[in-house]
Amino acid sequence: MSIVEIQHLKKYYGHARGIEDVNLSLEEGEIFGFIGPNGAGKSTTIRTLLALIRPTAGSATIFGKDCIRCAPEIAQDVGYLPSEVFYYDGMRVKDLLAYSASFYRKNCDARIRALAERLDLDLKKKIDDLSFGNRKKVGIVQAMLHEPKLLILDEPTSGLDPLMQQRFFELLREDNRKGTTVLFSSHVLSEVRKICDRVAIIRDGRIVNVDTVNALQDNGYKKVTLETRQPLPEGALAAEGVTSLSVQGGAASFLYQGAMPKLLTMLAALEPVNVTIGDPDLEEIFLHYYQ
Amino acid sequence: MNMYRHELRCYRKNTLLWICSLCLGAVFMFWMFPAFASNTVAISEVLRNYPEAVQKAFGLSADRIGTVTGFYSFIITFFMVCGAVQATALGMGVLAKETTGKTADFLLTKPLPRARVLTAKLAAVWTCVTLTALAFVAATLSMALAVSPAALDWTPFMLMSLAFYFVQIIFLTIGFAMGAIVPKIRSVLPVAMSTVFGFFIVGTVASALGQTKLYYLSPFKYFDTTAILETSAYRPSYTAMAALVTLLCVLAGYAVYGRRDIRAS
Repeated sequence: MSIVEIQHLKKYYGHARGIEDVNLSLEEGEIFGFIGPNGAGKSTTIRTLLALIRPTAGSATIFGKDCIRCAPEIAQDVGYLPSEVFYYDGMRVKDLLAYSASFYRKNCDARIRALAERLDLDLKKKIDDLSFGNRKKVGIVQAMLHEPKLLILDEPTSGLDPLMQQRFFELLREDNRKGTTVLFSSHVLSEVRKICDRVAIIRDGRIVNVDTVNALQDNGYKKVTLETRQPLPEGALAAEGVTSLSVQGGAASFLYQGAMPKLLTMLAALEPVNVTIGDPDLEEIFLHYYQ
Repeated sequence: MNMYRHELRCYRKNTLLWICSLCLGAVFMFWMFPAFASNTVAISEVLRNYPEAVQKAFGLSADRIGTVTGFYSFIITFFMVCGAVQATALGMGVLAKETTGKTADFLLTKPLPRARVLTAKLAAVWTCVTLTALAFVAATLSMALAVSPAALDWTPFMLMSLAFYFVQIIFLTIGFAMGAIVPKIRSVLPVAMSTVFGFFIVGTVASALGQTKLYYLSPFKYFDTTAILETSAYRPSYTAMAALVTLLCVLAGYAVYGRRDIRAS
């Protein structure tokens, strides 16, 4: 069953584009990565799902219900961690978490204590006195304390040290094993690779690709580097299937997708002294989608 | 209920401060009353030197200041302005603080409809205003009885006290509507003060010009204390206007905030 189903979602803020046409579907029990550069529309998509903003066109459902019309009902089973965590000043961590828990129809005390212990979070501290990373921890506990069926995380790891990031990922995996679906938005590819099953790449308000992390890496792209004795003439590598090309004198590198003999013929004509053909790393594919 | 309690806790200190200031002000003013009452002749001399427009604008007259109820009708206007500032700031701030404090994301992703959020917030600030008005009326009433027990004219006195509360309610809802409609109000108090003073000046100018039609533009004139003192009654058309403004502001607040986009901070 699809936990989240987004269809032709579009949002304009006046004349400014938020998202153009987003189509996505999250299956139950997966950890779904959502990556794209700043301003691509990640947050707009997420905020629409949470009914913080209303779409200009299109629709989205969560648990099969319309995300705007049934927002309060859906929210009972959704946990949200904003990219920047802000809470009421003057409150202690435990009061804030108790206040947050009071909105849900269950007792969350034990869960709050357990999560705080795992994340090394001092519940007695005042929120004003917390560092950025510790505030983020409050946000994580706040998002997870009612054991939601869907977790929406907007750049969740910023501010967390590597150890905490690891513990946080453990928590996510544990919940995920119990059936929690996770939407994990980020622009840091390495962390998405660590934890996500599938990834959607968003650019200029549109989803440009959705695939498993493995498939993204294994999509027929080859990374080619080449060295020649003479500087490469202009346009020498302008062929079909060549992207992300960078040429510096007699050295060039690019991504290639297409028939191998064609590539080899083209390379041979340039009389190279050195050639490597290999798999690109995920970062490079990612950059390729960005450009 | 949890939200209502939370909001009340947030405004506890603020409300206490307003109550103390208003009550101390009231005690001080009534404490000066005997000095006014025993010098009505001298005061009328002074007042005669003011242009007629000024006298009209502030409802000044010596025989009015001579009785405790008349004195009250004069000073309560200034307390109404203060009470209105408090109420506007509360109504506006209770919504604006979520945007400026960037806590809207937290609150509005909780499992309750926005209308319920608004109701809890409105109920909390309404409680603060009601407590303030009760304390203020208790203070003025006991001071009035203390300085002039025999001469207190109960009906207009209580109608004016109630008018203080009604003016607060109107401004609470005006503030509420502004808080819902204006996307970001960084500093609430200055905006509240300019709003209130704006309406007050409109009312004062209307009085000075004797243009009763302009009275509809200023909530301060819906419950004109000079008129209450003379007739011991509210004027139905203005009271209806007060109810209408309050209702419209509340409805506008719900309608706008219910659909408003909460933009990323």
